[in-house]
Parts: sequence; structure tokens; C-alpha cells
Amino acid sequence: MIDPRLQVKLPGLTMKNPVMPASGCFAFGREYAQFYDLSELGAVAIKGTTSGLRSGNATPRVAETPSGMLNAIGLQNPGAEAVRDAELPFLANYDVPVLANVSGSTPEEYEEVIRTLTDVENVGAFELNISCPNVKEGGIQFGTDPEAAAELTAAVKRITSKPVYVKLSPNVTDVTAIALAVESAGADGLSLINTLLGMRMDWQTGKPVLANEKGGLSGPAVKPVALRMIYDVRQVTRLPIIGMGGIQTAEDVIEFMIAGADAIAVGTANFSNPFACPSIIQELSKWLERLDIEHIGDIRQQGETV
Amino acid sequence: MRNEMMTVAKNQEIAANTYELTLSGALVNDISKAGTFLHIEVPGGDLVLRRPISIASVDPVAGTCTLVYKEMGEGTKRLARCRPGDLLAVLGPLGNTGFPVESPQAEDHVLLIGGGVGVPPLYYAAYELAKRKVTFTVILGFQTKAAVFYEEQFRYLPGSEVQIMTDDGSYGGQGTVIDALKTRTDRPAWLFSCGPRGMLRALEIVSAQPGTKGYVSLEERMGCGVGACLACVCETADRSSYRKICQDGPVFAFKEVLL
Repeated sequence: MIDPRLQVKLPGLTMKNPVMPASGCFAFGREYAQFYDLSELGAVAIKGTTSGLRSGNATPRVAETPSGMLNAIGLQNPGAEAVRDAELPFLANYDVPVLANVSGSTPEEYEEVIRTLTDVENVGAFELNISCPNVKEGGIQFGTDPEAAAELTAAVKRITSKPVYVKLSPNVTDVTAIALAVESAGADGLSLINTLLGMRMDWQTGKPVLANEKGGLSGPAVKPVALRMIYDVRQVTRLPIIGMGGIQTAEDVIEFMIAGADAIAVGTANFSNPFACPSIIQELSKWLERLDIEHIGDIRQQGETV
Repeated sequence: MRNEMMTVAKNQEIAANTYELTLSGALVNDISKAGTFLHIEVPGGDLVLRRPISIASVDPVAGTCTLVYKEMGEGTKRLARCRPGDLLAVLGPLGNTGFPVESPQAEDHVLLIGGGVGVPPLYYAAYELAKRKVTFTVILGFQTKAAVFYEEQFRYLPGSEVQIMTDDGSYGGQGTVIDALKTRTDRPAWLFSCGPRGMLRALEIVSAQPGTKGYVSLEERMGCGVGACLACVCETADRSSYRKICQDGPVFAFKEVLL
């Protein structure tokens, strides 16, 4: 059942509803396709893809934190060609656009991944991951410097006609500076926030819990940070924003839209509840009735108040 | 596999900080492999990760399954507080591989070696072996007498020989399961094991003997439990790639993975 009040159209992504699973929390969809029809989703953001296969970090790769979790997976993925040949065809069985998350160590690697995936029909848009905190060279070096972020954005825009969203890191002093830099370089949209860099220690061993020592914090614990950053970015740009950070419920989605998001991504909540995305979508319809709103987009803060 | 609100039928301490949890629900009908696990949401809503716990036994007539877990942190502490009638959100059964209980021939001898909370999936395996009239030896290691559990349950199974070891010698033999193994001269056709990594690494030597087929059930900190998040991986023995413990396992041949 499609609720027309939930439909959202973003560059490259014509979505039945504003809900997509976040990159890295859904692999390439196969596992969750056991639970529900992926065509129910607004879009699917696939696992961060690099040019070659990456095997990721040592274990433990996750640790629980108050109302959240740390992860340091390390961009484990089969590489762009395998994603193109084995994973994207699976998602093509569903009526759902793909947001292809792209990672790399060098600008050339980002370009190579995009070249490999750009002609795949069900890839509606790219999401440049310039904010993975878990690998030495996995993009965050581009995500914390406005100039480097802009250069990378401009470089990939030159090689693909598909829209490019830039996924922003919260591990910066001023997220709006990065947002403005990538906008001027031609970004078609923004997604935020990636995880917050964090740590946990094991009192028994006296060492960090994660093998990678540091990891990315996600889950409800980061929700207020995400809302604040989306709100700040919304003040300075009209670019579409995919908001994420601890979303668990339809009420959370509404909060993100009030802050300025056009669509949202659900990450950690998929782990505690594999049905998180479809249940949020169902609840959203009920909320529209309750709030007497004709279209979900009406909730969104209009932005650029400056 | 399904996600179900299961009812707590029983939840009791059976050894020091070790609890036996019996759950009832339709999900029980889906359980068929010794080694698979359930992914349980911790009551309270603020702990975002489910707790993966191995299945120790299934009673299809009563429609129940039993798990054994150790109270270690906040999550298992809250599980320990559950009372009969409480509901728990359970995802499962998870894992695609179990111990190959149908493979040993009647004349084969099977060795089951478990340490601490690695013991429960071995009980499920032993039960299935006994049902198939296969004889087996069980060696279980615990820290101390107060931690010992399931000894009687194993002894009760036909065809079983049970040996208990404690680190401090307060019950059974003194030492580890590896110490117990060293005194044995027989060569098992099959080895099923589950327990701490150090114990499993030591067992690799036994499993490498010609004529022994060794299997190990692995545990690791998990995220989704279904193979999507890539948190609970282990390297393959040739170090060429990774296996997902939750989805490709949790039971692997010793020769397949790097311990």
C-alpha cells in the first residue's frame, strides 16, 4: 500500500516514503529481504563500497554504550565490481531506488567506484562517504577539511551525471562550512550525520574494548547531536538533506523533518528490530492523520532563514 | 526465522550467576540445529543490541526451548530478573550451521568439549547424538564447583561418559579440559566443541589428528545477528577472507577458520 502523502522526490531518488535504511546497517539488502518486501522502502543506501575488496578491522568490532553502540567495522565490502555484478542485480528485483555509498582512500578510488557503478540502472544517486571514522584512509580526511571535501565533490561530479549526496561527519568544529563548501562544488544533496568518534575501555583488561580502539557512536544517544547539526545546516542551504542519527520511531522522523531533513535514514534501529523501517513507515501515515497534515513535506522546515 | 514475543516459562539460577531460561512460542517449531541461537532484546528499551544466546534444548511437545546464559553485564542482569509470564522479543533461530549430529555412524566415538557458557549448545548436540544411539564422551570445564551445571543432564543421556574439570580442583578433576584430554589415548572420530578462544585454540591440535573431524561453535560480539552489519566475523584459516559467525556459522569445521 502506497500512501501518496508520504511520497518524497529527491534528486535521483523518487521515494514512496522518506524512509531508507542507512549505509552500513543493511549490507546490500539480502538479509532484511527475509523479513519484508524491500519495495516498501523509500530507498536503500548500500554498504560503503570501495574499488577493491576490503576485509575490514579485527574483532571486536562493536561495543554497546548507553542508548547506543560503537562500531569499527572498517568498510568491509566485496569491492565495486562485485557490488555491480552480484549485489545491485539482487536489489533490482525490488521497486526501490539505490543510494550507492562510495568510500575510498584517494580521490582516484572514489572516481573508480563511481565509474564502475554509474551506469547501473537501479543506482539513483551516489552518497560520498567522506566521514567514515574507522579506517586510517577511508574518507574522513576529506570530510574534515572544507577544501578537500569540495575538491573531491567536484572531481566525482565531473564523471557522473547521477546526483551526488555528500555524507557529512559530525567530527568537525563547524559542519556548515563543509556543507557550504560541497554545495559550491556541485553537491546535489547532503546526508548527515555519520557516526561520532568514540571509545570504550574494558576495566578487566585495561584496554579499549574495540580492536580498532576507536569507533563510531550511533543510536539514540546521538539523536540530539544529529538534530542540531541538521538544523544548523538547514539554516545555510536549500540542498536536500537526508537526516540520520538514532532514529527509531515515526516521532523521531517528524523531529528530523522539523529540523530540516527531507528524507531520513534508519541505522542502528535495524539491529534491535529488523522490522524498524516498515514499522516506522506505517506509523508515519498514522501520524499524518493525527497531526492533520496533507503531505509529509509540509513538516519540513523551509530553511535558509538567513 | 521469525521475530516473536516469546513468553518466559521459567528463569532460574542453576549455578553461580548462571541462569536457565525456558521460553515458549511458535518460534520453537523452527529450531532444528544444535548450535543455533536466539537473539533476545533486553527489556528496558535503552540497550540497542540484542543478546545472542545458544539454544541448549528444545521440547517440541511442550512448545518450549531452553537457553543457558551467564549474568555478565547490564543486559544479562536484566534478563536474569525476568519472571514467568514476562514477554521477551526474540529473533531466531539464527545461524545456518549446527553441529553435524546426523553424520557420526553408530560405531563412531564423538568427543564433546565445552567450557563455561560454551556448554549449552553441546547439550543440544549430545541429546541429538543419544537419540541416534551414538556413544560420546563429554569433558566440561568450569572455574570452580559453584559454576558447574548440566552434569546430571549429560549423565542421564544414554551412551554418555562425562568428565568434569575445575580450574581450582574444587570439583571433578583439577585443571582444564585440555589437561583432561592429555590423559586420554583414544582418537575420537568427531570432536564438537564450544568455549573460550584459548580452549578452542588448544583443541585445534586434537582436531588436526588424522581421522578426527573437528567442529567448533564460535561466539563474538554481535550487532544485527542476521549477517548485515559485519560485526561478528572471523578470518578463514587461509586468511583470505572472513566468515560471518551469525550467518555462515556459528558452527565451523576447525580447518575452515582461524581461531
